[in-house]
Amino acid sequence: MSNYIPTIGVEVHVELKTKTKIFSNSINGYGEMANSLTNVVDLAYPGKAATILNCKIRRIMHFDRKNYFYPDISKNYQITQNATPIGYDGYVEITKSTGEKKKVYIEEMHIEEDTCKSAHRGTKTLLDFNRAGVPLIEIVTKPCMSDGEDVKLYLEKLRELLSFGDISDCKIEEGSMRADVNVSIRKNESDPLGTKAEIKNIGSISNAKLGVEKEIERQTKIYDAGETFKPQTRRFDDKINDTVLMRVKETGNDYRYFPEPDIPYVILTDEMIERAINSIPMLPDERREKYKKLGVSDINTEKLVANRSLSDYFNTLLDEKINHQIASNLLLGDISGYLNKNEKLITDTTLSKERFIELVNLIDNNTLTSKNLKDILDIVLESDKSIQTIIKEQGIENITDDSEIRNIVKEIINNNPESVNDYKQGHDRAIKYLMGQVMKETKGKANPKMAMDILTEELN
Amino acid sequence: MYLNKSIKEINELLKNKTIKPIDLVEEAFQNIENNRELNAYITLNKEEAIKRAKELEDKEVDNLLFGLPIAVKDNIITKGLRTTCASHILDNFIPIYDATVVEKINEKNMIIIGKTNMDEFAMGSSSRTSYFGAPKNPWNKEKISGGSSGGSATTIASRDLPFALGSDTGGSIRQPASYTGIVGMKPTYGRISRFGLVAFASSLDQIGPMTTNVYNNALLLNALVGKDEKDLTSVRREDEDFTRLIGEDIKGMKIAVPNYFMSDIVSKSITSKVKEVIELLKSKGATVDYIDVDYLENAVTLYQIIAMGEASSNLARFDGIRYGFSYENPENIEDVYLKTRAEGFGEEVKRRIMVGSYLLSGENAKVYYNKALSIRDDMRKALKKVFDSYDLIIGPTTTTTAYDLTDPMDDPSKSFMDDVLVIPVNMAGLPGLNLPIGFDDNKMPIGMQIIGNSFEEAKIYKLASYLEKELNLSLNPNGGEDNE
Repeated sequence: MSNYIPTIGVEVHVELKTKTKIFSNSINGYGEMANSLTNVVDLAYPGKAATILNCKIRRIMHFDRKNYFYPDISKNYQITQNATPIGYDGYVEITKSTGEKKKVYIEEMHIEEDTCKSAHRGTKTLLDFNRAGVPLIEIVTKPCMSDGEDVKLYLEKLRELLSFGDISDCKIEEGSMRADVNVSIRKNESDPLGTKAEIKNIGSISNAKLGVEKEIERQTKIYDAGETFKPQTRRFDDKINDTVLMRVKETGNDYRYFPEPDIPYVILTDEMIERAINSIPMLPDERREKYKKLGVSDINTEKLVANRSLSDYFNTLLDEKINHQIASNLLLGDISGYLNKNEKLITDTTLSKERFIELVNLIDNNTLTSKNLKDILDIVLESDKSIQTIIKEQGIENITDDSEIRNIVKEIINNNPESVNDYKQGHDRAIKYLMGQVMKETKGKANPKMAMDILTEELN
Repeated sequence: MYLNKSIKEINELLKNKTIKPIDLVEEAFQNIENNRELNAYITLNKEEAIKRAKELEDKEVDNLLFGLPIAVKDNIITKGLRTTCASHILDNFIPIYDATVVEKINEKNMIIIGKTNMDEFAMGSSSRTSYFGAPKNPWNKEKISGGSSGGSATTIASRDLPFALGSDTGGSIRQPASYTGIVGMKPTYGRISRFGLVAFASSLDQIGPMTTNVYNNALLLNALVGKDEKDLTSVRREDEDFTRLIGEDIKGMKIAVPNYFMSDIVSKSITSKVKEVIELLKSKGATVDYIDVDYLENAVTLYQIIAMGEASSNLARFDGIRYGFSYENPENIEDVYLKTRAEGFGEEVKRRIMVGSYLLSGENAKVYYNKALSIRDDMRKALKKVFDSYDLIIGPTTTTTAYDLTDPMDDPSKSFMDDVLVIPVNMAGLPGLNLPIGFDDNKMPIGMQIIGNSFEEAKIYKLASYLEKELNLSLNPNGGEDNE
């Protein structure tokens, strides 16, 4: 097979998290054309999205009607933004596996209403109206990607940004994020772009990558055989892990776009844009940077960023003088286990910031062992009592009495002359064994740091 | 006979239980029956109206509109009551919800008597494009009632009942009101929710009241207005009583008459009647100036482009799939669309959809539609500017009085020219009212249009009621007595 240069562009539809189904903003009627937008709830979402995607934001915009006869749209026109997309000229940055950073350029981002979901069953088509009228944003990249990995990384980045921005839940499987990928190949950079195939119906990000690779392969074979093909729409079939032809594109689709007369012009003010920007939560890359600065391990950082609710919780602790690595261990370890088992969010528990800090410090100064923690965790997360009170009530307070521990240590030393001997011969293992005996004797209640100090002291 | 009394009198009679709502309803149906040949109605709501009247007997008479019969133009959606838009494509359509205006008149405990005849999908100016045949003018049954709200105009003019709703996209309330000698108001765009009004041209359509006199008109408008979350183009305004300026003196009012409105496009009998009114106004202390207003002569051209463009899209939903007429045994989905629409729509509607589709196709949208929008904006500004110096604009409503039902319909642009004086008001989103001011030599009514600035309907009613009183015309085609 010959080598061709692929050019790839992606169109992503994202369902907004809005409560209402329809466009519910409104300004004055025709003839007055005033600037007062009375309901900006829905516009905050696309406004935020445009900002997150580094787009320029259009101040004066309107909606357009896209006219076509098809059963998936009951009015036989779709409300969209053709002439004045809310966002344009943006980008997101991806990092390739080679470490190379690359910008994926956003051509434009517009608002439109979703259509019915059509399910084709043999000669029949079934229509699901549930999602019809749900507000969407469509994000269109420039044809600037060159392989399956680019597409995968772009979609992953987009999903991360939009879900962290509270714009959409971005569930590809449930259809709240849908990607259509346009693929063409050409021999030389100087050649015009090749014939385009659009891949639809992509059910996952990995399928997007696979679909692109398969499509490049398919087009290469065609050109290598000296043949050509018509612009077409294909769909990804996850049963055969390949793309199949849906339809050859008709040329000259005429959608008869014109400004939607049922929705007045929308004029975005500085205050509205500022409000949208201020409502953007801390984005993943900024979180990563902050966590690492506080000494959180790479693994924990990624795990936190992958869990929005724990990460938000962790963000409330950023300015606290605590051991953040321990705090992250705690959140991602036992607390995560509890939350998963009980199907709760951390915000559903009684673990206030103050009590969590107390917990972290008790572990940091060895007052509490990991076993102790396991014993009291349910109570910590389900009651309002202070951690100290819980420790006392559960009778698991560590033995921090110097003389009591010293007596036990002395007894252990006396009962284990061989190990003591081994230690003196320089075998480090021996002290661990002796320490284990101390903890066993105290049923794990001895403050481990104190016990170790006393043991070392007595041995020497 | 109670319906020819004033609304306040009827209200007193209802309050002191001299009469019941059922008496008014039965009288209305008797009148309609007597005038059946006028063909004002497409569907009567007899059973439901009687039931509703009986239900109201136990209710407190809580407002002036209580228990009063009203007719609704058949492009306004009524739950459970057939709504056809005078089209074959909807001749079996029974809606499952009420238009916002219908909810509002129900809240006032008014009683819907029936659905009035009209041009198919409000496309026409003589109601002759109706699938159900044209209504006839009560002043002369050989003449048109105008359109598209011809049925509502006919039933009000013939004194069947006191209230009707019409809709006005390019004069469809004011022009038939003028032809039949009644009061018809197209309020400011955005005053009244269009939710449930079957859209013809969304940026121009507005529902409005049609009545025998000015006071009733203002009273009904009170009940219809308000911001509606279901119509993004409806506007929130402070509550006001549109009757509040009725009875005030007009001394010092500044009134403008565009020269174009009095030019030779208008027949002499009409301009001379308007001039009489102008002299009257001057004699009563108002200032009346003839002025030039730019762009008025472009109104019809702009209207054709904008209204047909929007209509081609608005009527796309009638495809035979979910409701209405559907072609039987189609071969495929394309066949459903094509044959349902080919058989379901009448000629004028199909002509406008085709022209509208053409106007929006490809580059045409820029050349025609967008250009028209931009000139429309200039025209709006030119009209609005008049109100910097004047309270109101007046002029004739129509260029002629009602013409013969048998006049040819084969020149499509002729029907637009019927509306040349009323269309600019829709283009600018302004309120406009027709007031009867007299008759021509054939005893056909002549109407005068009063145009106000946005949201200044009350000022229009002030002048209209003043003139109504001064002119004191006998406006009952049956020759009976008229009360206020």
